[in-house]
Amino acid sequence: MSYVAKRCGVKFSPPAIVLIYEDADTGKMRQRIMPVRNFSKFSDCSRAAERLKNSLRHSPYLEGVSQEQLERLHTVLRDHLLGRPLLTPRPDPGDEDLNKLEDEELACRKAQMDELFERNRRREEDPDFVYDLEVEFPESDAREPCSWDEDESDDAF
Amino acid sequence: MAGDDGGSLFDFDQATYDADEKVKIICLGDSAVGKSKLMERFLMDGYRPQQLSTYALTLYKYSTTIDGKTVLVDFWDTAGQERFQSMHPSYYHKAHACIMVFDVQRKITYKNLTNWYRELREYRPEIPCIVVANKIDADMKVTQRNFNFAKKQGLPLYYVSAADGTNVVKLFKDAIKLAMSYKQNSSDFMDEVLQELENFELEKKEGTSDKEDDLLQEMDQQLA
Repeated sequence: MSYVAKRCGVKFSPPAIVLIYEDADTGKMRQRIMPVRNFSKFSDCSRAAERLKNSLRHSPYLEGVSQEQLERLHTVLRDHLLGRPLLTPRPDPGDEDLNKLEDEELACRKAQMDELFERNRRREEDPDFVYDLEVEFPESDAREPCSWDEDESDDAF
Repeated sequence: MAGDDGGSLFDFDQATYDADEKVKIICLGDSAVGKSKLMERFLMDGYRPQQLSTYALTLYKYSTTIDGKTVLVDFWDTAGQERFQSMHPSYYHKAHACIMVFDVQRKITYKNLTNWYRELREYRPEIPCIVVANKIDADMKVTQRNFNFAKKQGLPLYYVSAADGTNVVKLFKDAIKLAMSYKQNSSDFMDEVLQELENFELEKKEGTSDKEDDLLQEMDQQLA
């Protein structure tokens, strides 16, 4: 038996990963709903994705689905549990003026940024933590110009 | 004559910042550039700032020793007030140094430095100001780039990360040093004018109440 994965998505209630696949033997399109169990807003999406990818029941169907995609789908489920809105396509984050957002939206954007912050964070408990961490970067003459300075004429407005 | 009551009216007053060993350092910059995160990284865990929510202001009190003398530092953080893209004049009042932050991942926060800097100089034409490129952990390549704004204005530029701690402590220590040396050598015209105005107000006794005094008085009560 072999299955060709076509599309993969999520169902919020109850939380599940949904796979549309083709059964290569019969040529029929089928849908498989894989419940995501023991999953809460505190769960580790990467481990949950790994568990599903390697599960005896489902792994034969998920060969064509990368673990990264499964992880992203679990993140969607978790964000839903956290009450965060779905990530919608947004304008170039570099050009969006967050000063103009409402409280809730701003809190949401800050939460998104916090993910990166937490990932890169060095905590006091970390063995390699240095309180006064100084790093010298090349002197300004050695630096390249920044594209952000190209439209200097803006200043005239 | 200003009696006890009159005195307390001007206590918070930012008149305390006239004392030799006390400085006020303000943070400026757009929403979500990491101003509070930088403060928290410098002061480390468990530090609880004072929230003056009515004024959209967060106050971080810090004390340190410089040349054997205790120095009290009040860091003023914006607590959302920046969303009006302008700060209340009392935010700038008597500040001795400014830490101006942008997010290296968001161009608009860099572009808006121009506005923040313009407003800063309206109120505080001379105080030292440090430009801070925050969140370099997100993209270390930015440290090889030159951000012309700082150079054009003749301001020092620090590449920092509140997340991994790069140059955060150095930034604040240097800011305190700059604030102290500004205070000791200041011949700021605005300072003198404000001093004159204050003496004048004091002579008029406690009856005076222009808007800022009201604000300061209320702040005083909140702090007490």
